[in-house]
Amino acid sequence: MSAPKSTTTGLKKRENAILDLLKKGLERKCFDTVLIPVKVPAGDSYVWVLAQDNSLLDDASPLPPVMPVHGAKAISSVMRRGKGRKRIATVMRPCEISATIELSKLGQVELDNVFLISIDCPGVLPLSDYLENPKKGGDAFEKVFKQWGNGSVRPICQVCHRFSMPTGASDIHIGMLEAGERDIFIISNSPKGEAILKELDISPKKEIGSWKDKVKEITEERKNKRKNLQEELKPGVVGLDRLLDTFSKCINCHNCMRVCPVCYCRQCYFDSDKLKHPYEDYLFRAEMSGGLRFLPDTLLFHLGRMAHMSLSCVSCGSCEDACPLKIPVSQIFGLVADETQKLFDYIPGRKTDEPVPMATYKEEELKEVED
Amino acid sequence: MSEHRKPNTEHRNWQPKIIAFLCNWCSYAGADLAGVSRIQYPPNIRVIRVPCSGRINPIFVLKCLQNGFDGVLVSGCYPGDCHYISGNYYARRKFAILKTLLEFIGIEPGRVQFSWVSAGEGEKFAQVVKKVTDDVKKLGPAKRFVKRV
Ligand code: SF4
Ligand code: SF4
Ligand code: SF4
Ligand code: FES
Repeated sequence: MSAPKSTTTGLKKRENAILDLLKKGLERKCFDTVLIPVKVPAGDSYVWVLAQDNSLLDDASPLPPVMPVHGAKAISSVMRRGKGRKRIATVMRPCEISATIELSKLGQVELDNVFLISIDCPGVLPLSDYLENPKKGGDAFEKVFKQWGNGSVRPICQVCHRFSMPTGASDIHIGMLEAGERDIFIISNSPKGEAILKELDISPKKEIGSWKDKVKEITEERKNKRKNLQEELKPGVVGLDRLLDTFSKCINCHNCMRVCPVCYCRQCYFDSDKLKHPYEDYLFRAEMSGGLRFLPDTLLFHLGRMAHMSLSCVSCGSCEDACPLKIPVSQIFGLVADETQKLFDYIPGRKTDEPVPMATYKEEELKEVED
Repeated sequence: MSEHRKPNTEHRNWQPKIIAFLCNWCSYAGADLAGVSRIQYPPNIRVIRVPCSGRINPIFVLKCLQNGFDGVLVSGCYPGDCHYISGNYYARRKFAILKTLLEFIGIEPGRVQFSWVSAGEGEKFAQVVKKVTDDVKKLGPAKRFVKRV
């Protein structure tokens, strides 16, 4: 496939097609505002912006090369003090949509006035790589887009098997695989999405068979890659000693928790006074173990987070991107999350009306954990 | 500092230290009944009374192991009998997650056990304690989380 001779690349063309859709939606008052990533004036990063008018949308980038702030974090911040009347449309990557759905189940996002537009995602570059040279990063991402994910995206994106939403919980999905050089597939995933498309005089494309097939093919490929990555990871992280080794360089900055879209507690237990112990306690523990590391309870923090939110972990990679010590946090969390989610046959973000596993139960289940 | 937390791994006659989180309404009463009825059970457990098994957070269990206990028992009311209707069902879910996590950390599953014991089951309580103690004895002292600097 050769690129068309033009200054606008395939990626930019697709982005423009999405922006046209959003502009039309604003003009026809299908929604009042758009929440979307926009390149910062300095040109070296992207931020979420609530864009009210079309001129701002000109600088927007529905598919930026990096994910400095997770979309679910952005939208939940808008609704931190509750919802409002105005309607927001937002374009997000599948892992961002899924986390948004999780937050809606936890009462931190209200979806009534939100239109979720998901998008086929080729992955994102590691934030640190991109920041080294944003211009080069932009070019690298063009390549990522063309090859649909390659070795330069984050490890977790290379094995992402939920990079599309063929039957997702979004209202509209934008398919790009197999859509041709400059085209996009606009697919309605919900009655809300259908209504908007009608107002915009867009008849959903019927010929999406090739897209569906391609999505399926890549999904299967990624599932295998994910399994392989996990098998490679396991010997280095499973078991107490290896786990301690893995997290031994952790500096307790708690970045991984702060950027995690599904770490939803307003006050983290591990930042609270609950885990601040008296002097004598620490000295006793030091005596008991022959020594105690400070800051204390590093591993407990990570285990606590796994126990608490691995059920909703969407494998978005934000934690890993934010870790200054380059600990493969999201790969480790993914490993645990796949297991805990399997317990309840749960996929975070799969459906809006499926409660999180800790908010429900079955009378007959899990007999194997009883003695 | 209380005696029960002293390291005891060097002793020749090592005895496991096991912490038991017991629901006030059932298992705690069951333990009480065992005591009143003079039913013998191993003296290795230290009991913490909780208002409901649903109160138990996986972090409590992890902290117990971190602080030098060799085993943890969690016991609540039978399904359908929880005083708060469903606390024990949630407890079971949390426990299942914890089990998965323990496997990942590499802590032997036998160290952390879950059971239903009613207020009238003094005999069963003694059996449960005996089983947990035997299991933990077989496993030996627990490695601690924070054993290194
Ligand atoms: S994990 Fe990576 S590839 Fe998957 S949806 Fe998120 S950004 Fe895209
Ligand atoms: S734990 Fe990491 S990968 Fe999982 S949802 Fe949170 S930030 Fe994303
Ligand atoms: S971001 Fe990295 S260094 Fe900071 S607390 Fe998390 S794992 Fe530790
Ligand atoms: S009251 Fe006993 S388990 Fe809930």
